[in-house]
Amino acid sequence: MKFSKKALRSGVAALAFVATAGFASAAHATTTLVETGSSLLYPLFNLWVPDFTAANPGIQVTTTSTGSGAGIAQAAKGLVQIGASDAYVSDSLEKKFPDLLSIPLAISAQSINYNLPGVKSLNLSGPILAGIYSGTITMWNDPAIKAANPGVALPAHVIIPVHRADGSGDTFIFSQYLAASDAAWKAKYKFGTTVSWAPISGEIGAKGNAGMLAAAAANPYSIAYIGISYANKVAAAGLGEAALKNALGAYVLPTPETIQAAANSVVTDTPPDERISMIFSLGPDAYPIVNYEYAIVKSDQPDTTTAAAIQTFLTWALTTGNGATYLDKVHFLPLPAAIVILSKTQIAKVQ
Amino acid sequence: MKLRPFRLSLLGLSLLIPGALAAVVLFLLIYSGQAIGFNGLHFLYTINWNLGDLYDDPVQVGNVQVPSGANYGILVFIVGTLLSSFIAILIAVPLSMGAAICLAEALPAKIRPVLSMLVELVAVVPSVVFGLWGIAVLIPFIGDYLSPTGNGYGLLATSVVLALMITPIIATTLLDALLQVPKENRESAFALGATHFEVVTKAMMPMVRTTLIGGIVLALGRALGETMAVLMVSGGGINILPTSIFSPVSTIASFIVGQLDSAEADPTNMSIRALAEIALVLFIITLAVNSAAKLLTSGALNVRKRSH
Repeated sequence: MKFSKKALRSGVAALAFVATAGFASAAHATTTLVETGSSLLYPLFNLWVPDFTAANPGIQVTTTSTGSGAGIAQAAKGLVQIGASDAYVSDSLEKKFPDLLSIPLAISAQSINYNLPGVKSLNLSGPILAGIYSGTITMWNDPAIKAANPGVALPAHVIIPVHRADGSGDTFIFSQYLAASDAAWKAKYKFGTTVSWAPISGEIGAKGNAGMLAAAAANPYSIAYIGISYANKVAAAGLGEAALKNALGAYVLPTPETIQAAANSVVTDTPPDERISMIFSLGPDAYPIVNYEYAIVKSDQPDTTTAAAIQTFLTWALTTGNGATYLDKVHFLPLPAAIVILSKTQIAKVQ
Repeated sequence: MKLRPFRLSLLGLSLLIPGALAAVVLFLLIYSGQAIGFNGLHFLYTINWNLGDLYDDPVQVGNVQVPSGANYGILVFIVGTLLSSFIAILIAVPLSMGAAICLAEALPAKIRPVLSMLVELVAVVPSVVFGLWGIAVLIPFIGDYLSPTGNGYGLLATSVVLALMITPIIATTLLDALLQVPKENRESAFALGATHFEVVTKAMMPMVRTTLIGGIVLALGRALGETMAVLMVSGGGINILPTSIFSPVSTIASFIVGQLDSAEADPTNMSIRALAEIALVLFIITLAVNSAAKLLTSGALNVRKRSH
């Protein structure tokens, strides 16, 4: 008994030693990049990482879904190497952390989904949505909604607006769209990853895109804004997708063509730091709620190995990673060629 | 004096936990100091919560910088926390009393350990599992059959989920105490001709009353601080006080989690300081509840201690 205990103990010690040695040597051989942030980008990173690490055995990438705000904040503090965000870094934060880069990786859009029994197609506009979310439009058969949908039998039922209860890049894009549509919304609610929502007694705050989907599916007569990467699940849940009035007055659905049209029309306006809103981009077929998905990276990295690894990963994401095999699965679109060049110029700044 | 290394090390260890607690409170106080100064007492009794425009330049208010338009009022969340926990207790107490008495008195001793183990098992189910159940089962049920608007998210869903989570805490505490009631008391009540019901209500329950209150307080502590499950089913009410049991609510703990992500992107840090101030309020509420219960039942938890 005594002997076996001793043997056990030395065995454990030997195992521990081997484990430490193995860990230490692994740490020497590979560079670890930590990514955190946007829950909309998270599924894409999950598709990217296994293929990237297979092609680049020296670099390890871990990825977590925490939210765009956390992605920006933790990248700014240098706690993670890559922050993923649906929103670009704000001017005020840029003043505090001037070395923070916002590098677009792909193009995403947001769908407005509704749960309306018996209604197959629905036209909506920014002012109508601003009215719904600020509590001035409360019924589905409101004159404003009727006017946008001639011939559609709208129920006389209270609208249940669903919004995000957690901080979210989706809320950022959606509220930016409402602020661009409606002066009253812009003055009162502004835009951001969290908004001080209007007091509407029937509203629902849900957690994450998955929570938005569940809330909209469980509540007939509800309306929700959901990232386009959830399109398959939204369709499976039987939710409708609203056509939105764009800058030129046409009602358009979020399809690859309309999202691409929106992205193409802002190419020439995109500044070198690539922080630009794609809301209401001009173009006859452009869908109004489109955005760049960003990697938030500090240009000053603590050492050259890390900087090189970040450059390798982001460059891979813009080339191989922008292929249809990855993006189609999450309904994202690749960056236009001119934007890829801008992004690569920014990546070169990471030292 | 002789140096006693064993005692000294024990002293160090025993001071570790109170020390950590003091450190947390101290941190919250210092960190939220600016927010306390900025908010004043309005913080506690106004209902408008607005992080402000984080994408605009911060403004100078007094000697601190805050995001423009920022306003912090948490009455909605205090009310949501207290109401949901209170209703949860209302649901959980009869349930757990029934369960404990049934286990102690009505069931044969052979299957008691199995069933009581199952009840204890419910207490260790992670809260996110309760939240998922809430979303998948409870909310559609409330929406379809109970709620007038068809919206299942809100105060009722939150309270039911909380009640399920705390029922095993009360039930196991009470069961332990019921099994500790001396055989003599129970049997003499029977000998006097009391019915089984009278034995339980007149001879046994009075002996375990303080333990029951102690268990309820333990459960209340868990309900007040529960975060994830609440965030999933509460409907995230903001800027509006609940008007019925179907209204969306937010509790302090779930609200902190919901806002933290956006607050982190605030260059002035005031948002996070305000969240730290809410955490302080939650801490004070929990402390007040616990102290009140301690006063009510001085010695309440002793019965429980003996049973272990």
